Amino acid sequence: MMLSRIAESLYWLGRQLERAENVARMVHVDYHASIESGALVGHVPRTWDALIAATGAGDSFVKAQAEDPGRSPADFLVLARDNPNSIRSIVGRARELARTLRPHISREVWEEINTLHLSLNRRTSVSEYELYDLCGSIKRSIETVFGLYDNTVLFDEGREWFRCGLFIERTDMTSRILDTKYHLLLPTALEVGGPLDRYQWGAILRSASAWEAFRKGGRGEISGTRVASMLLFSSDFPRSARFCVRALLRHFGNATELTPPPQRVGPQRLITILDLDLAAMDIRRAMAIGLHEYLDTLQSRLIEIDRALANDIFRALPESV
Amino acid sequence: MPGGMFERYEQLAGPDEMFDRDGSIRPAYRAFAERLAHWDVAEYHLRQSRADLALLNAGITFTVYSDEQGTERIFPFSLIPRIIGSREWAHVEAGLIQRVRALNLFLLDVYNAQRSIRDHVVPAEVVFGAPEYSLRMVGFEPPLGVYAHIAGVDLVRDQNERFVVLEDNLRTPSGVSYVLENRTVMVRVAPDVFPPHGVAPVNDYPSRLLAMLLEVRPPHVTEADCRVVILTPGIYNSAYFEHSFLAQQMGVPLVEGVDLVTHNERVYLRSTSGLEPVHVIYRRVDDAFLDPLAFRADSMLGVTGLMSAYRAGNVTVTNAVGTGIADDKVVYRFVPDIIRYFLNEEPLLPNVETFAATVPEEREFIRRHARELVIKPANASGGYGVLIGPQASDDRIAETLAAMDAEPRQWIAQPLQEFSTIPTFQDDGLHARRADLRPYILTGASTWVLPSALTRVALRAGSYVVNSSQGGGSKDTWVLTDDDELDEADTPSSTATTGTDAASPSRSSSQSSSQSSSQSATG
Repeated sequence: MMLSRIAESLYWLGRQLERAENVARMVHVDYHASIESGALVGHVPRTWDALIAATGAGDSFVKAQAEDPGRSPADFLVLARDNPNSIRSIVGRARELARTLRPHISREVWEEINTLHLSLNRRTSVSEYELYDLCGSIKRSIETVFGLYDNTVLFDEGREWFRCGLFIERTDMTSRILDTKYHLLLPTALEVGGPLDRYQWGAILRSASAWEAFRKGGRGEISGTRVASMLLFSSDFPRSARFCVRALLRHFGNATELTPPPQRVGPQRLITILDLDLAAMDIRRAMAIGLHEYLDTLQSRLIEIDRALANDIFRALPESV
Repeated sequence: MPGGMFERYEQLAGPDEMFDRDGSIRPAYRAFAERLAHWDVAEYHLRQSRADLALLNAGITFTVYSDEQGTERIFPFSLIPRIIGSREWAHVEAGLIQRVRALNLFLLDVYNAQRSIRDHVVPAEVVFGAPEYSLRMVGFEPPLGVYAHIAGVDLVRDQNERFVVLEDNLRTPSGVSYVLENRTVMVRVAPDVFPPHGVAPVNDYPSRLLAMLLEVRPPHVTEADCRVVILTPGIYNSAYFEHSFLAQQMGVPLVEGVDLVTHNERVYLRSTSGLEPVHVIYRRVDDAFLDPLAFRADSMLGVTGLMSAYRAGNVTVTNAVGTGIADDKVVYRFVPDIIRYFLNEEPLLPNVETFAATVPEEREFIRRHARELVIKPANASGGYGVLIGPQASDDRIAETLAAMDAEPRQWIAQPLQEFSTIPTFQDDGLHARRADLRPYILTGASTWVLPSALTRVALRAGSYVVNSSQGGGSKDTWVLTDDDELDEADTPSSTATTGTDAASPSRSSSQSSSQSSSQSATG
């Protein structure tokens, strides 16, 4: 038995924490990658724009910069209160959710989230040289929350909803990280397969914490096809879209064991079909559609699943007793 | 004995909890004082900052709304505890049990047989004229006849060194989570000052609370099937931390009004597996907001149809609706008579002397002695409208007396209380600060008192205001468990048997001048 409102909050707690961790990881890796790779092309690539676009805050940054041309993109991504997708804003939302969820999470989980929120809230600015350490510590703190959650919270329905949120968000963020390549300066034909291209795909691997896994998988030279293939269709890499949607399906099944079928079937159908599609798809066909277009569709389908969860399960009004 | 830190400690006009009038350490504080002796200023600062950080990280905070950055502050925690010896505590405990038993019998009576009104124990107009008297409760008897399941009674130690009752809180008394959290913090930051035989533990409270809530379930529900919930107004309520804390500690759902629905006079909660029945609601929502059908139609916090389900006996609401009649400030004046009438016993814990304007002779007394009294509206809280006679202008007194004559039911008066102080670390030194005491009493099949209490302390010099909303702090409260050898000298009125060394504090003759306007606004 679980309150619908609480189930929804746990789902969103999983989403927000995963989102904050991914933004931290993207800043952590890509920003520094861009400084270095500038030497390869003689100018600094517009990595910040790509990063901000990947978090879905592109338009609001353009607006913020129009108002204040000196507006720092690092600050906008990490600390800005007027950016709902800055790490501080996301962690703040996670913390508000955790506050409503105190009876459902352990003291350890709560204190870790609260401590992270307080430390971000105390900061007034972040300079470029602090960025690496700050994002690293945010990442570690959120990974600590996930570890504490696994080791101190009941393995009950609530945990299943938390994991549902985590995996749907991870699918979404992995596709967004992959999509940053599209937002970067598109390489000319000459550059494809060249040092900058390899460098950027390498950065994407690192953003997705996939560097070691990629190497270990014996996947050879870094290329767009191989990196995208791994991040989308690997069945054993825990951040690939295929792996995450499979996990989402499993956790959704566990969470809704007692849910009446009329409420359950809508989202279940959507997740199952996406799972089957990802298993049947491969990188060649995705490239043929166009990687950016394929990722766009994937993101739309995740939004559809999210809506079905809200309408059919979290906010449904049961008809009878 | 405590070293240099206490050398310049100055007592106020009222008694001090740690030192007697001669400056000797009271028996209950002796073991503690020995362990504290080596603390210097740096040590106090170190412990204080560790305590503050622990509270901040644990999220035991309130938001400063005026601050755009959403800065959160902790409720100030004051290191030196209130310590109560076992023998004195046994007396307080017995007095609280007596008082709460009598108040529950009174509540059952005023909503049913009304014998106490026919027998003129409490004037009829005092009961029926009170806004808290709930017509929706007339002729209804809640399970086990209990109304005030959870009570918080505010006590102070007066000039005569006795504990007296300042106020009963029988609706949704808050603060017990701070009792438990203060102990957690104290054990963490100052384990070295706890006495050798320990202090009565407090972490039993949530299981006692749950057991009590199960006892008062509707009789047709088995204990195994019984579902208990806590009903909160939501995350923006200032006591939200406590609601979630208790839900977490008891392992019961924390629900908001929107989570509950009623159907055929039964209450259900909306879950991912459909509607699930609810049998006991520990509500932290006021009567007026509980059921828009029965009370305020504009309430978004309540559950439509809850009152019908309650009266049908399908759900138990704690505390019962209409309990507020028994903690009304005018009814308070009659509680000693209520105890005598229902229990045929003398009250163990005295009231503060109170004059009710609704009684003609007392109204006359208030009029003649307005300069010496604190005159308060009966139904307001937070210190609003309170007149401090010794400090008020002639105009203000005339104004208040006119208001009193117009609506005598709405006014009471009490002499100003010089209540006791406890040493409090502030600004590099230890200062005497006034503190009250709120024990928590649970009543189901029987009545139980948590062996600790919320000690709230005024943090401004000379202040009588202990409310957290007005800058008050709190202290851990120790009830000693194994101090039999101290019993001879335990009660504060007995003479101290040992003197102290050169660390005796001097006694300040200067009475504080900043008497507050709401000394008993401790809600």
